[in-house]
Amino acid sequence: MLHLLKIDLKKLIDYRTFWIVCGLYFFTLIMGAASGMEFLKWLANIIEGFGEKFNISRIPLYHFPDIWQNLAWAAGLLKLGIAIMVVISITNEFTYRTIRQNVIDGLSREQFLLSKVLTNAVLSGASMIVVFLIALVTGLIYSPEYDFPYGLTGIVFYPAYFLEVFGFLSFALMLGMLIQRSGLTIILLLTSYLIEFIIKQNIDNYLPGLIPFFPLESIMNLVPMPLSRYWFQEIRDYLTFGSLAIALVWTFLFNYFAYLRLKKSDI
Amino acid sequence: METVLSIQGLSKNFGTLRAVNQINLEVKHGQVFGMLGPNGSGKTTTLGMLMGVVNPTSGSFSWFGQPPSNQIRKKIGAVLEHPIFYPYLSGQKNLELMALIKEAPVSNIQKVLEIVELSDRKNDKYKTYSLGMKQRLAIACALLNNPIVLILDEPTNGLDPMGIAEIREIIKRIANDGKTIILASHLLDEVQKVCSHFAVLRKGTLVHSGPVDDVGRGEEHVEVIAFHDDIAVILENFSGSLSVKKEEHQFVMKMKEGFHSQDLNRYLFEKGIVVTHLITQKKSLEKQFLEILAEAEHAALIKN
Repeated sequence: MLHLLKIDLKKLIDYRTFWIVCGLYFFTLIMGAASGMEFLKWLANIIEGFGEKFNISRIPLYHFPDIWQNLAWAAGLLKLGIAIMVVISITNEFTYRTIRQNVIDGLSREQFLLSKVLTNAVLSGASMIVVFLIALVTGLIYSPEYDFPYGLTGIVFYPAYFLEVFGFLSFALMLGMLIQRSGLTIILLLTSYLIEFIIKQNIDNYLPGLIPFFPLESIMNLVPMPLSRYWFQEIRDYLTFGSLAIALVWTFLFNYFAYLRLKKSDI
Repeated sequence: METVLSIQGLSKNFGTLRAVNQINLEVKHGQVFGMLGPNGSGKTTTLGMLMGVVNPTSGSFSWFGQPPSNQIRKKIGAVLEHPIFYPYLSGQKNLELMALIKEAPVSNIQKVLEIVELSDRKNDKYKTYSLGMKQRLAIACALLNNPIVLILDEPTNGLDPMGIAEIREIIKRIANDGKTIILASHLLDEVQKVCSHFAVLRKGTLVHSGPVDDVGRGEEHVEVIAFHDDIAVILENFSGSLSVKKEEHQFVMKMKEGFHSQDLNRYLFEKGIVVTHLITQKKSLEKQFLEILAEAEHAALIKN
């Protein structure tokens, strides 16, 4: 396992595009997550009366325990950045035909796929750790009081965030494996939300019960949008077994479809 | 001799096209095995199946008597079609990556780079290499894990004469080390120069396989030039002559079985004729190859 991971990381470590895309991704992740207060101030500036209706410094955006879900959710919006890197990494193997040479040189097709999946897990894990650390640091800075263990409620959203990123990267890997061309894959990755949205809207009137079972929906559902609690709406601030199970099944299926495709095709 | 590769009834269809049709073949240890065939005759597809990148439609093969697996592929060095590497990595880094995949010792990298004379360019990015250098890096990669078998598919494709000579030199050196080599090519001259055995593919079907030495066998053709008015008649009268043909300024005699050029020389000398030119034509693989293909074509026509 470690050996396979080493192989795939070796392909990336001297690849400048990898560092640029990852650098941009983690930079946005860190800056985005750390500048929520600035964002609120900006909102107060441009929306008339916003600052009067809400006292922004009293919105506990960065207070324990709110911060855990807030940041996990916000970070989830940025996962597309790292998914593009995954698409580039897999479609490169097809355009350079290096996947063929890898198999000739002695990787089995399963091992090749596994090396990619392991890299996905590492990227997801790195994202999770980065966001967790930002949440911890900014929470310690902004929270008026530390009330542990109550302050730790919602920390369960971090494994969920990991699954959210990993599931989406599995989706990106599968698309790359099926389409094999980077441009087309990225376009499809971008429009997949739109396509799913349209289908969901059409189905909403007849079978609303089906909606949580949609692949991208199920990934988004892991960490639900928390901000509406600040305008006094009920939100789900806990992880449900159902959302977890559906997302897990989809993640498995994405990787399984990629495996089937690789197994059957001549490379 | 130990069997390295054994193929039984291997076939591959691409849609309705039968690219490889029921191939049976054996390659023994230490052979330099040439696979000949026109473009599109199924050589690369066959090698692709042997290396696990093309799924066979039917049939089977075994390496060293074992069913194919990725572990066995690690001990086979192969260059199929053209060299394939990560363009953004240097030659050295590419080989380090391949060494990881093949689980080969890192110390081998320096060694194989020296064999193909690429040491001084090893830190340059692969995409800056010339075609000849890419080809040589591919051979270095194939040699990385001390392979027992080497598979080379058109290794001199697109190279200049000097590059071709270099690669041929490398192949000969490797063959002298006792390694088994499978060489696919449409350059017959190349195969004749380095191979001990060869097989001919035509439209995916194996039409011939055997040792290269057999190629020279059969009746001899002797070229004669002699300045004598009745030379044509005198040649006709030679008891070992099967037929005599005049070609431009020389005669070509087809000899009966058991007769050789020295018999003809002696006969002419006894008749008081001294020749200025007497050469036994070496039957080239090219001629043989074209004959085999023509026969196969003929057989196919009759069958249809």
